[in-house]
Amino acid sequence: MIQQIVKRDGRVVPFELDKITEAIYKAAQALGGQDRSMAEKLATDVVAYLEQKGNEIPSVEQIQDAVEHTLIENGHARTAKEFILYRSTRTRVREMNTKLMKIYEDLTFREAHENDVKRENANIDGDTAMGTMLKYGSEGAKQFDEMFILKPEHSKAHREGDIHIHDLDFYTLTTTCCQIDLTRLFEDGFSTGHGFLREPNSIQSYSALACIAIQANQNDQHGGQSVPAFDFDMARGVAKSYRTLYRANMIKALDLEGVENAEKLVRDAAEKIEAENGGLWPAMDAQNGYTELEFALLAPAAGEEAVKKAQAFARRYADREIDRHTYQAMEALVHNLNTMHSRAGAQIPFSSLNYGTDTSPEGRLVIRNLLLATEAGLGNGETAIFPIHIFKVKEGVNFNPGDPNYDLFKLACKVSAERLFPNFSFIDAPFNLKYYKPGHPETEATYMGCRTRVVGNVYDPSREIVNGRGNLSFTSINLPRLAIKANHNIDFFFEQLDQQLNLVIDQLNHRFKIQCGKKVKNFPFLMGQGIWIDSEHLGPEDTIGEVLKHGTLTAGFIGLAECLTALIGKHHGESQAAQNLGLEIIGCMRKRMDDESAKTGLNYTLIATPAEGLSGRFVRLDRQRYGSIPGVTDREYYTNSFHIPVWFPISAYEKLRLEAPYHALTNAGHISYIELDGDPVKNLDAFESVVRFMKEVGIGYGSINHPLDRDPVCGYTGIIDDVCPRCGRHEGEAIELEKLQKLGLYRHLNAQTLGCCGNPEEEADRVVNPVE
Amino acid sequence: MTMKNNMVMVGEGVGFERIRRITGYLVGTLDRFNNAKRAEVADRVKHGLSDQMEQL
Repeated sequence: MIQQIVKRDGRVVPFELDKITEAIYKAAQALGGQDRSMAEKLATDVVAYLEQKGNEIPSVEQIQDAVEHTLIENGHARTAKEFILYRSTRTRVREMNTKLMKIYEDLTFREAHENDVKRENANIDGDTAMGTMLKYGSEGAKQFDEMFILKPEHSKAHREGDIHIHDLDFYTLTTTCCQIDLTRLFEDGFSTGHGFLREPNSIQSYSALACIAIQANQNDQHGGQSVPAFDFDMARGVAKSYRTLYRANMIKALDLEGVENAEKLVRDAAEKIEAENGGLWPAMDAQNGYTELEFALLAPAAGEEAVKKAQAFARRYADREIDRHTYQAMEALVHNLNTMHSRAGAQIPFSSLNYGTDTSPEGRLVIRNLLLATEAGLGNGETAIFPIHIFKVKEGVNFNPGDPNYDLFKLACKVSAERLFPNFSFIDAPFNLKYYKPGHPETEATYMGCRTRVVGNVYDPSREIVNGRGNLSFTSINLPRLAIKANHNIDFFFEQLDQQLNLVIDQLNHRFKIQCGKKVKNFPFLMGQGIWIDSEHLGPEDTIGEVLKHGTLTAGFIGLAECLTALIGKHHGESQAAQNLGLEIIGCMRKRMDDESAKTGLNYTLIATPAEGLSGRFVRLDRQRYGSIPGVTDREYYTNSFHIPVWFPISAYEKLRLEAPYHALTNAGHISYIELDGDPVKNLDAFESVVRFMKEVGIGYGSINHPLDRDPVCGYTGIIDDVCPRCGRHEGEAIELEKLQKLGLYRHLNAQTLGCCGNPEEEADRVVNPVE
Repeated sequence: MTMKNNMVMVGEGVGFERIRRITGYLVGTLDRFNNAKRAEVADRVKHGLSDQMEQL
């Protein structure tokens, strides 16, 4: 007689016949069965079968086997099938739970350097408490979404690596990214959800609030944040600061000239001029007529000579001070964006600033000082990792000698040669130029973070602008796998690709429907403060479906190079036939997205996927399935999007020429970069020629990589092979303090500055690398 | 800070920082890269600037 059973976790518990009856009855019920007494009889048969097999203390698995056997023996095949199905579902859930617990165990007890999950994204510090907590949430959400939210066919395709649903952990929660219009946000002030901020009145406040806006918005979305026209946005802050500085200096100067009531005179005059001339202020460009109007108002009371002298003084000092204030504001911004926390402290905000086309004196001052602050680096001269700088290149504005901002383009090249930023975007690329309307910075195509681009708008063609818009979600296709499966049959490949695109579109739409059901209150900043286009017309309880239609639904891809190699034996860097086929493949993907847009009126677009976490995942799965295929699955990563493989020797120009046509096809974003040898600072002409070449061949967004190393001990920044060129130290080696002192470092010797600290003043002055 | 032969020494165990572009953004040190990206960075070759402008 069976008295006890062994549970899955090994515990021995009393046996209950009712539980078997219940399981059988439920399986029968699912098929419409109502006969409980039959279930009871079958349950006793199960027990008899177990006892007959001599199983005194059976396990759960053994009991379930016995149930299946008994049902089939007694002619209840359909009920048996239902029972088996129930059993396998439970098994999968249990396995998922076990897998999740294993992930949690690794997150808890293993450090980032031995746990790839913790290093999935390099900008998250997986070793911190909050970084780990984020990972618990993220991994748990992924499992939940896979099991209960995704359609089974999407879940399967994702799990098996046919496609990759990016940011799956946020599937039910939010959208990717947004391009923030700071000018509009600052008008009349705004609230972060934790407090109200007045409209800023100086460039320092403008830059501080810019950081806060980026930080607040980052917490409402899972991607990065971008400011499309940072120079235009900040120019107003410079103008306000200039007004304040000019006025303060004017008051001081008149006071020194012995004029009574100088403060009241100057302020009254300013108010009167502003009121009578449509808000006229003292401007950096002294040509706006303010000086003359002010002179006329002040001269009768203060005397012509005194006013003339005071105005010259105020002008001279305001010009000098505005430059310093703007530099300090930009310096603070760079520091803030590298230190302020987001997402519970695991990250700093993923920020992008686009600029370069504002030709006003105020806008130019912003651009110049932002570049100079970036050039100077952080507190110890370190290269700033954020924000991502994107210098917008435009003919007639900054590209050629004689263009008003050509000097700033040159400076951007120099800073990029030193600090890897800015990257360069090209408004003249035909696919960007078609949106461009001079005098409307919101029509200048911009880039976010790694490469995302949102400007075209099928949903509302009257608003093909960048402001307030962003990507909703994206999903990437494993191109090499499709090619391997096609086994050199190109037609079959295209058939499979088309099916995969259909699946991705269906999945993007599934996610979009969930996103549409969210309410304004779920996004207190993004929607609550009207950052997202048209959201200012919505109330906290309104759903966001309509306004989200301005966003993009995006398919991406990875490993075009490996795909081509699998199909025809060569990638597009080594064969024109491969290049032609590559363009055909990506062109076909783009066309499918365009067709879907035309059909639905939604912005279905194609991105050259950034693929950070994904770069290793697909190839790992494919190697398990198909083994190591030379040129296809034999490395640890698939090549990024449409790039020529990083290991393939090719000239910079040829690489850019081959990659440019893909920029035109990937309307949701793209980037090309090249690797320069040596120190580009020593050859700025060559650096600039590469940027110019990018523009000529139709690159939309590009950047130039070069080695950038730093010795934290002496503070040297540049190329370091084995030995630091400044202090002569090997990696990990200690050096005599006296030697550093001789090099002019550690002048203010104390315990805090020892060990990892260079000399920022010296760093700023660095022209030639001093080698002893 | 350590002492060696009566000399004050600094920097024992301190490595060099290698700043690299990961997918479009920068990372201050290779330690943060995932395994695949690390392998990719190691494989990157330099692109020469030999004059190919005329090919345009």
